[in-house]
Amino acid sequence: MGKILRVNLTAKSLKVESTSEEVARKYLGGKGYAVYLLYKHLKDYEKAGISPKDINALGPENVLIFATGPGTGVPGFPSNGRYHVMALKSPLTGSIGSANSGGEFGPFLKFSGFDIIVIEGASKTPVYLAVVNGEAELRDAGNLWGKNVFDTCRILRDKVGGKNTSVACIGPAGENMAYMACIMNDEHRAAGRTGLGAVMGSKKLKAIVVSGEEKVPVANPQRFSEVSKRCLDALKNNPVTGVGLPTYGTAILINIINTAGGLPYRNWQTGVNPDAEKISGETLAETYLISRRACWGCPIACGRVTSVKSGPFQILASEGPEYESVWALGSSTAVKDLDAVVKANHFCDELGLDPISMGSTIAAAMELNERGYIPQEDLQGLDLRFGNAAALVEAVWRTAYRVGFGKYLALGSKKLCEIYGHPELSMSVKGLEMPAYDPRAIKGIGLNYATANRGGCHVTGYTVSPEVLGIPEKIDPLKAEGKAKWVKIFQDFTCVVNSTVNCLFTTFALGAKDYAELLSAVTGWDLTEDEILKIGERIYNLERVIINKYGFDGKDDTLPRRLLEEPMPEGPAKGQVTELEKMKEEYYKLRGWVNGVPTKEKLAELEIEL
Amino acid sequence: MVSVKIMLFATLRSKYKTRELTVACNGTLLNMIENASKILGPEFVDDVYDKKRGKIRDDMIIMVNGRNIKDLEGEITLKDNDVIAIFPPLAGG
Repeated sequence: MGKILRVNLTAKSLKVESTSEEVARKYLGGKGYAVYLLYKHLKDYEKAGISPKDINALGPENVLIFATGPGTGVPGFPSNGRYHVMALKSPLTGSIGSANSGGEFGPFLKFSGFDIIVIEGASKTPVYLAVVNGEAELRDAGNLWGKNVFDTCRILRDKVGGKNTSVACIGPAGENMAYMACIMNDEHRAAGRTGLGAVMGSKKLKAIVVSGEEKVPVANPQRFSEVSKRCLDALKNNPVTGVGLPTYGTAILINIINTAGGLPYRNWQTGVNPDAEKISGETLAETYLISRRACWGCPIACGRVTSVKSGPFQILASEGPEYESVWALGSSTAVKDLDAVVKANHFCDELGLDPISMGSTIAAAMELNERGYIPQEDLQGLDLRFGNAAALVEAVWRTAYRVGFGKYLALGSKKLCEIYGHPELSMSVKGLEMPAYDPRAIKGIGLNYATANRGGCHVTGYTVSPEVLGIPEKIDPLKAEGKAKWVKIFQDFTCVVNSTVNCLFTTFALGAKDYAELLSAVTGWDLTEDEILKIGERIYNLERVIINKYGFDGKDDTLPRRLLEEPMPEGPAKGQVTELEKMKEEYYKLRGWVNGVPTKEKLAELEIEL
Repeated sequence: MVSVKIMLFATLRSKYKTRELTVACNGTLLNMIENASKILGPEFVDDVYDKKRGKIRDDMIIMVNGRNIKDLEGEITLKDNDVIAIFPPLAGG
């Protein structure tokens, strides 16, 4: 079947195991298989007398998993240049760590001869893992430690050589264990959220380089060829995946979300940004875009290659920023200089930081400071006020190196706001900063933020799609009724996508039936649409069981007070609050959960063995 | 007659090289579109309106004062100074 490389950094041992077809049939690969493995680790810890609540996210007991799925690296499988990373715990949230990235690392990991890499323990000195043509080796990373992401990727790619070579690594932010540090690959691609870069840094694992030419097997090549052609044609002919995303990238959302009154501005004080046009996708395309870039195997090519030609924020070449990055670094901070936002995003890539959590933490600090809650000596000269472009860019740097006020920013907005006595100003759920949609104006996404297992996450169940974009159909963003079923189905289906592993953007054109057909052709299993969605539901519930063990339950499925009690002050959603309790009640009923905990009956129905 | 502001985004903006325009109309969306096409060109009608089905194209996103017309009940009557934002099919994440 497939191969798992198990690496123990404490013992410096490497072991190869086979994947289990029985497990893969229930959980697929990618996120699903990783959740299953993490749950097994937790059970082993419990047997050894270690409580899941006592697992330290930055301790050697944390486990980090890089996972591909059955679709990864199969030529013709739509937009499959992705991989999923998980950890038992996130240092930012204390909940499960989970992130997904594009580029080339996922397919090239498969080509190197392995499907999944499990990292346990911690090394005393910096190391990197080389997985080349089926052979794996831990090597000294002493001369890489301290290097930025771009240099690390280039040095290791050149050192290993070969045709299909990719590097996933951390930058200084991960080495310094900033809580929102991320794992970067192929220079500008990020497994961004939940601070997995800090986990890698705590293990002194600087990078993983993969290389190889192994072919990925397809059970039914003829059937696959037919289904693949139909799906690729659907992507090409769909106006979103065939025209919109390729032409403008994701930042095109700035103007439409702002028009709907849901673009958070000044740390979510309102959902209307008077300067949205200045940081919009249209302006980005006009002013900074050089060309498009695609991940491996992707016909959509939504990636943006950009540059800032001159001025204090000049950059020769960068990628992005994406919509969420523009929002966090630009709208939430009220910085309207797009070149500063591009530069700040570039630094996030260079140093290895999640721009969503970074921007949102800076915005929280700006509000704390403007309200007089931060002693000036703590700021050490960092003039954090809304709209200050220079302070934004400088703050990213200081966070990565944990210097000056960066020491506090590096903890994330939840701890930052707690330290300064105003936890209500952290716009986060379960410690993860929410992305770029105000749930007072788009209510379903609020229910998703509250119930996403990894915290305030939009992609877990992206109901913005039906609520604002009208895909697959239009539902009213200002209504709370009927949202629960959408959130559930999006959450379950997204688990399938993250277990396949391919890009969520295909779902603007493809549905669960297409995934069932694609996966059936690749694996040789006869999967139906219903079975596919049941697999997704199973993965979601097992992940929920894990976070229940950490102490997360219904009380944590909530939103910041601002979104529940402060009516939107202006715009088309003026006067609205999120009405979460109404939606949550309906959601728990649909999920078969009580107070955020799956019932025994639900687990039995999903054949989850505890 | 009412005077309304139309705002164009994404590929519509680059096609018509226009970010916004003010048009007078009788208060119906169709009349607004027809009058806008006198400035932007006749293609604009087909870009936004499905003549065969006699309604706004299903794939276009049209918001009146920030509210998508698909979420509004009843016949839409535009008022003075209404802002109509028109987006082609788009997405992100």
